This record gives sequence, C-alpha cells and structure tokens, in this order.
Amino acid sequence: MMNKETEKLLFNPIRLKAISFLISVEKCNFKTLIDVTDSTKGNLSIQLKKLNEAGLIDIKKYFHKSYPRTDYSITKKGKKSFEEFFKELKLLK
Amino acid sequence: MNKEEQLRIINNAINQTKQNLKPLGYNLVFWSIVVISMSLFHYFFPQIVQFSYYSAAIYWISIPLLGMIYTTNYNIKNGIKVGYETQLDRVIKIIWGVFGFAWIFIVAISLIYKVSPVQDVLFLLSIVLIMTGLIIKFNNVTIGGIGLLIFTAYSYYNPVMNLLLVNVVGLSLGMLVPGLSLYFQKNDE
Repeated sequence: MMNKETEKLLFNPIRLKAISFLISVEKCNFKTLIDVTDSTKGNLSIQLKKLNEAGLIDIKKYFHKSYPRTDYSITKKGKKSFEEFFKELKLLK
Repeated sequence: MNKEEQLRIINNAINQTKQNLKPLGYNLVFWSIVVISMSLFHYFFPQIVQFSYYSAAIYWISIPLLGMIYTTNYNIKNGIKVGYETQLDRVIKIIWGVFGFAWIFIVAISLIYKVSPVQDVLFLLSIVLIMTGLIIKFNNVTIGGIGLLIFTAYSYYNPVMNLLLVNVVGLSLGMLVPGLSLYFQKNDE
C-alpha cells in the first residue's frame, strides 16, 4: 500500500502528467515538461517543487554556454511510488 | 479526477516520448565520411601524410580529435533541442563513449609498439556496431557490423591487403550505408 501523502500528490493532473513523462525518460528540461503538462511556467514550477520536496523527482540546475538550464529526473523513491500508484489504479479499475 | 482519467493521463504522457534515431545516423555518416576521406587522402598522397616520422600519427590523431569535439558539441546541442533523454539514448551514449576511449587507447598502444591500429579499431568498431544495431533493433546496422567483422577477420589473414583500402571498403559497407539508412528512416511515432 502506498502512503496517502503520495497518493494526494499524484492526484493533481499536472503533477501526474509530469511524473508519468519522467518515468519514461532518463531526464528532461523545463520546456519539454511545459509541453507535456500543457500548463503555465508558474504553475508547473510550483507543482515540480512539490514533487521535489516529496523526494519523487530530482532537479539539477547548471549553466550551458552562459545560459541557465534545469534538468528534471525521477528518483528511486519516485519510481517506486509511481509503480505502486499505477498498480493500485489498475486494481481499482 | 476519476481512475479512468488518471490512467488516460499516464498513458498520454508516456506516449509523448519518441525515440529519434536520426542523430545516431548522423554520427555514423559523419564518422564514416571523415575516416573514408582521410584514408583516401593518405592512400593517394602518402608523400604529404608521411613526410616526417610523426606526421602520419599527428594526421590520424588530430583530425579525429577535432571530429570528436564537433560530434560531442552536436550531440549536446541536439539533446537540448529535443529536450529529453531516454534510457536508450543514455545506453548508446555510454557505448560510443567507451568506444572513443578504447580508440584512443588502441592508437596510443599502436604508436608505442609501431604497429598499425587499423584492424584492431575496425574489429572494435564492428562489435560496437553489432551491439548498437541489436539494442536499437535496426537490422541494417547489425548486418553492417557483422559484415565489417567478417571483412576485418578476412584482412587479418591477408597481410598483403592495403590497410587504407581496408578502411575505405569496411567503413563504406559497415558504417556509411547503415548510417544513411538510419538517418533517412521514418521516425518512430
């Protein structure tokens, strides 16, 4: 059984879209996540911060040729939580 | 949001990942053209390439190193443009990164022992091509790698063969043709 906190976190469609995409890739940038989640920059930033605070995703900030870049990837905890969430979802269907 | 909606969201998000193998095709075509051109230039103008004791070594190290810088830069730029990296992209990157290091190692050892690195490099290249073809499930690359492996093995038993021409024929059939077919293939949608 997964904890209620994670379940509550993944109940938000933007957070669910983001984590579902991140499970299928190694890493991705912010622009891609905007396209995938179909949300605004501000809203997405807040949702990603929440996922990061819960330890479900990693955020890596760096500079490439003087431009700031941010890469997002799913953590081990995030993968495990997502798998449990998906399993329960399929059972309930 | 009900369970069906959640499942639909997950399904749609996962399906947005597309495996684009065009950059790998570009890398294969770029390297085969570079090495084939270098081999042909060396074959037709040996007096220029081998004008001094170290000139051939400098020729065969400096140009590929510039090529490595160019392709690394191309791959980084392409990664930023695509916006994400799949697990498959990472595996391919590691395999070819290891090949790059092994290539430097083979060339360095060959210089120390004063032997030609051509056959060893081609052997390693054929193995990496076979692995790449099997991983990406693209038969043309696997067949190219097997062809190159057979050709390299044949060249070991025929010491009279000119190694520069071995390079040209081996890379044309084993890397250039599969690279072009990978570059022009329809993307996985």
